[in-house]
Amino acid sequence: MNQKQNHARVSDSGSQIAPVVEQARAGSRTAFEQLVDLFQGDIFRMAYYRTRSSMDAEDLTQEIFMQAFKNLDRLRMAERFRGWLFKIALNRIRDFNRKKKFRALFGALDDNDKVAQPYGERSDRAEALDKLMIQDFWKQVGMFLDKLSRMEREVFMLRFMDHLSIKEISQAMGKSESTVKTHLYRSIEKFKKEHSMRQFLQEATA
Amino acid sequence: MSTDREHHLDENQLLWAVVEEAELPLPLREHLSACPQCSANKEMIEQDLVRMGQMAERLSPSPRRRVSLPVEKAHRSIQWSWGWRACMGAVAATALILIITWWSPTTRTTHRDNANMLALEMQEAEQLMTEVGRLVENALPYMYSDISTESNATLDEEFMQFVIPSIEDEILSYDLEKGGVWLC
Repeated sequence: MNQKQNHARVSDSGSQIAPVVEQARAGSRTAFEQLVDLFQGDIFRMAYYRTRSSMDAEDLTQEIFMQAFKNLDRLRMAERFRGWLFKIALNRIRDFNRKKKFRALFGALDDNDKVAQPYGERSDRAEALDKLMIQDFWKQVGMFLDKLSRMEREVFMLRFMDHLSIKEISQAMGKSESTVKTHLYRSIEKFKKEHSMRQFLQEATA
Repeated sequence: MSTDREHHLDENQLLWAVVEEAELPLPLREHLSACPQCSANKEMIEQDLVRMGQMAERLSPSPRRRVSLPVEKAHRSIQWSWGWRACMGAVAATALILIITWWSPTTRTTHRDNANMLALEMQEAEQLMTEVGRLVENALPYMYSDISTESNATLDEEFMQFVIPSIEDEILSYDLEKGGVWLC
């Protein structure tokens, strides 16, 4: 998938899903299940990128959709469902990470947290790939993201890893589009200087 | 304008083109679409970003279990029906209280009672007006009426006339002394 295809996926999604959202809002359980089918993967990955634990990501995905299901009648514009869903997800993941940090302060990490070793978790889909490459990739991404400010990191991830449009990012983060663009500019500027990471990406996909 | 078209995009402009091409002024956009070198520079950054997104997606696990929704609708309808029942019960109880209050002997008033009450009120009003009239004539209580000047008004006038005669009386007495004629 190239950049243009990504953009197409992002921009078309709002108008395409609006009728389904309307049906779900009217009380159709089937319609909401359709929305789950459409977005479960995106939300799961979003949670995974930010927790690096598939178990936590699964739990968070479940909670995020439950919250969306309960509050769907509060969504005013059906075509904004995607941004709205990601907003719920962002808040939920932020709460999760905050609690996790708090627990870590008192050394109360549970088994689930211990599983969430950074860059080390393998997926079924990636079994065929070299384990070293997977670890390398997440290490490179982690190192790069650590160089960004919180806002830059969030905007960058939402744009290039979660494939949200600038408008959707603005909605999800509750910031103006110009603020989002400014943070995006700064993060891309830093990304451009990450020569080793960019070289790794080019080699890995060659 | 012409210089924008001739010169390549600088670092800052290139990055803005990646963020959102529409942010660039029109001449720069025209240059970008026409210039192979600037387009290549922009695409290089974009492709690296897309690669990163693709790899992140590919190297992430898939969700193992499907999101399970609660039996929300049925649960909701039960909750709603219980709420509805409670609401209806409250309305019925209120109506019952109102009916009992309306028909109770203490608050129930007939037309006849109303007429009697009206007559009684009119009588009381008449008595009140009589009393007001009396007070306008003499506001003093009865116990003070004996010592007040009001009851001895005629005597006082005669007495005062005796003590201080009027001017006419003085003139008459003067004429008598001078041998005038008795007028009375």
